[in-house]
Amino acid sequence: MISVKNITKVFTDPDGGKNKVLDGVSLEVDQGEKIVIIGPSGSGKSTFLRCLNLLERPDSGDIFLDGERITDPKIDIDRIRRRMGMVFQSFNLFKNLTVMQNLTLAPLKLKIMKEEEVRRKAMELLDRVNLAEKADVFPASLSGGQQQRIAICRSLCMNPEVMLFDEPTSALDPEMVGEVLDVMKKLAEDGMTMVVVTHEMGFAREVATRVLFMDGGNIAEENTPDIFFTNPRTARLKDFLSSVL
Amino acid sequence: MNFQEQFHTAFIAENRWKLYINGLGVTLTVAFFAGLLGILLGTVLALMKLSESEKGKFNIWNFLATAYVDIIRGTPSVLQLLIMWFIIMASSRNPVFVAVLSFGLNSAAYVSEIVRAGILAVGKGQMEAGRSLGLSKGMTMTYVILPQAVKNIIPPMGNEFITLLKETAIVGYVSMTDLTRAANKVSAATYEPFMPLIGAAVIYFIIIKVLTLALAALERRLRKSDLR
Repeated sequence: MISVKNITKVFTDPDGGKNKVLDGVSLEVDQGEKIVIIGPSGSGKSTFLRCLNLLERPDSGDIFLDGERITDPKIDIDRIRRRMGMVFQSFNLFKNLTVMQNLTLAPLKLKIMKEEEVRRKAMELLDRVNLAEKADVFPASLSGGQQQRIAICRSLCMNPEVMLFDEPTSALDPEMVGEVLDVMKKLAEDGMTMVVVTHEMGFAREVATRVLFMDGGNIAEENTPDIFFTNPRTARLKDFLSSVL
Repeated sequence: MNFQEQFHTAFIAENRWKLYINGLGVTLTVAFFAGLLGILLGTVLALMKLSESEKGKFNIWNFLATAYVDIIRGTPSVLQLLIMWFIIMASSRNPVFVAVLSFGLNSAAYVSEIVRAGILAVGKGQMEAGRSLGLSKGMTMTYVILPQAVKNIIPPMGNEFITLLKETAIVGYVSMTDLTRAANKVSAATYEPFMPLIGAAVIYFIIIKVLTLALAALERRLRKSDLR
């Protein structure tokens, strides 16, 4: 479904220093897969995820979605992004809009659904994450966990084919991590294709079909979760796992 | 002369109050329309400054807006008014229009910096969230960023408008009669400067005080919607 071929990305510091964040990364994601990416900070995992919907544009290499080359500069990227939901570490709910408006803004303005239809869908989604009664409040009055569950609903309201999660629980208080992970697990059970950058090893073990370890701008190791966690091959992954588990 | 006589000479005799009223009209008209022009053009300039070009490429919009702001901020507004009056619009027969143009073009430079800062203060995650849903940059700007930026923009914008209102006093340089010049004329005609000058000062003060109170009320209302 998603095919990444040898992408690189270099960030330039204000003082001119070059920092190679992605050093030729390739990956194939099939329909229905749940890929979990872990790795130390600065390993390029968030940048890699943000390249998938071109929030960051790779310096070289190509990305294909169902065979279509989305790194083509002439492609209508907005049309591609409608098919890929994204959930951010800091939620990024639209602060000037109510919860309901957050969910319905994009489907309405892009004329994907009729108002009545999109409101019904939004209520369904909110109901699924137990936040239907919050439809008319503003995001500022909600807890982090509630905001993140709503952010997930906002993405789902566009009927995406794949969901990207960029450390969705890293900004949450510990007692709220579970409620967000539960929503993500349900989503995985429903068959959604997911790419998740996270530090939640339990989630990776339980949900992932494949776990990737990124280090120094490369995918250093990848495997099914049971082998990945019990029998790591590289010394770098062993070190990493022993420091986080 | 006692106080009453002075007051009579300065404001009542020979229908002098009409001079102040007409002057005040000029002051308010110029400030209002110049402020409007400043907000419109200033917002456009801010968006030009915030426009991104492809990596490494020369950004003509950014360059033009930056040059404009530099030139306006780098020259005295009195000089800009004189240049507009005697050179650029020398053939115009509408003094108010020329003044509005001059002050509006001036104010736009300052407004653009206010709007730019207000937009930048909205977290960049808001734009990313909009784009990740497939909304275009313009749509995200319109429905998400600008409504939030307005809250950041209103306090400094009020400040800018108050400055503008007072700065219109320099239209006396091009022989227009605003409130300040009206007071000056009366003081010259009566050889009694106290009443007309202090009177004009009081009028400016009251108008600006009312504006300040209205802005504070508006700010309070906008902040309330954060907590709903």
